[in-house]
Amino acid sequence: MTNGAHISEEDLALHALQALTAEESAAVQAHVAECEVCRAELAAATGDLALVALSVEQQPLPAGARDRFLSRIAEDAKQAEPEAKIAKIIPINRAAVGRVSVWAPRVAVAALLIIAVGLSWEVLHLDMRLRRETAVLRSLAAKNAKAQAVVDALTAPAAQRVLLTSVKTPPSPTGRAVYLPSTGALVFQGNNLASLPADKTYELWVIPANGTAPIPAGLFRPDATGNASVVLPDLPKGIPAKAFGVTVEKASGSDTPTAPILLAGAAPAAGD
Amino acid sequence: MAMAEVFDRYGGLVYSVALRVLKEPDQAEDVMQDIFFQLWKGTGTYVEGRGSLGAWLAVVARNRAIDSLRRKKPTDSVEDVVLPAKTDLASESERNLMIEKVRVVMQGLPPEQQKLVELAFFEGMSHSEIAEMTGDALGTVKTRIRTALMTLRKGVQG
Repeated sequence: MTNGAHISEEDLALHALQALTAEESAAVQAHVAECEVCRAELAAATGDLALVALSVEQQPLPAGARDRFLSRIAEDAKQAEPEAKIAKIIPINRAAVGRVSVWAPRVAVAALLIIAVGLSWEVLHLDMRLRRETAVLRSLAAKNAKAQAVVDALTAPAAQRVLLTSVKTPPSPTGRAVYLPSTGALVFQGNNLASLPADKTYELWVIPANGTAPIPAGLFRPDATGNASVVLPDLPKGIPAKAFGVTVEKASGSDTPTAPILLAGAAPAAGD
Repeated sequence: MAMAEVFDRYGGLVYSVALRVLKEPDQAEDVMQDIFFQLWKGTGTYVEGRGSLGAWLAVVARNRAIDSLRRKKPTDSVEDVVLPAKTDLASESERNLMIEKVRVVMQGLPPEQQKLVELAFFEGMSHSEIAEMTGDALGTVKTRIRTALMTLRKGVQG
C-alpha cells in the first residue's frame, strides 16, 4: 500500500471514499497521523470528493424541513437551559471574592433600577397610546351614529316634511341637495312635486364645475304628498358641482337633460 | 453565522447529496437534519480555516448517507474529514461557478471512469466490490478512480 515512505495517491483517494477494507483504512489512518505529506494529499483527495458531491443536481428541500430543524434546535436549547441554571461548585478565590462582594450588590441594584425605570416608561407609553386610541374610537363611533340618524330622518317614509313659506304664497316645488364631491355622496329631498303620468319621471342632474356634460343622478317619483328623495345614487368621486337640476324625462330616464329645467340650484364653492 | 443562515445556505446542497445516494427523501432529510444538528451542537468537528464549510458539509453528507445506506453507525472517518483550505464555496456565485465547472469536467470523463466514480462515490461500493462487479483488475479500478479525481481537480483549477 505504501509508495516508498508514503501511502499511494490511489489508496489515499480510496480511503477518502471509504472504499478500502477496515484493515487497509486502519493502516492508512495510522500512517496519516504521523505523515504531513500524506495528510495534505488526503485533504486534497477529500477536496476532490467535495467536487464530485457538487456535481449533484440540486433538489428542493422537503416542505417544512427548515422549520423542523429550527424546532429541533430550539427544543434542544430549551432542554439545555435548566442545566445552565444549576450553579456549579467552583473553588473560591478569596481575594477575588472580596473585590466582587463589594461591587456586586451595587451593580445589581443599579441594573435593577435601570430595568425598573425602563419598564415604567414602557408601561406609561403604552397607557398613553391606549387612551389616545380609545378617544379616537369614541369620536368615530359618535360621528357614525350622527350620520346614520341624518340619513334615517331624511329617508324615513314616516318623517314629516314641512316647508315653511309666506302664508300668502301657495306651496311651490322645491328640492334640497346635499353633496360631498370627494366621495360622490348625494342626498336629495324634493317637496311639493306635482304627480306625473306613468310614462314620465323626474330626473336629478349634477352640473359639474369643470364645464363637462351634466351627470344623471337618479330618477324619482313623488309620493301622494308630493315628497320624494334620492339617496346615494351611483356617482363618480371627486367631481365638484356647479349646480343641480331636476327635469322631467321619459320613464326610463335620459342621458341628457330635457328642457325645461323644473328645479335648479347653484352650488356654493366647497367649504362655503 | 447564525445556524438558520448556515441551513439556508447549505441545506439544499446537503439534502441533494444525501438524496442522490439514498434515493429516499425521508432518509435523506434524516441525514441532513442530523448533520446540521451535530454541527449546531459542535459535535461535527468542523474546524474553521481547514476548508470551506460548504465543501466539508458536502463530503460529510455523502459519507453519512453511505453509512445510512450500509446501515452502519457513523464512521469515525466522517469526523476526520479535512479539506484543503483553498476550497471556498461560501458565496452563491462561487458555488454556482464551481458547480458549472464540475459538471462540465464530469461529463467530459471517459464513460468507464464516470461509472467507477458513480459506483464508489454514490453507491458506496468498495474497490474490491467494484472490481468484482465490472470484471476489471483491482489495480485498474484504483487507477481509474484516481485518474478521474485528478482530472476533476485539474479541470476545476484550470
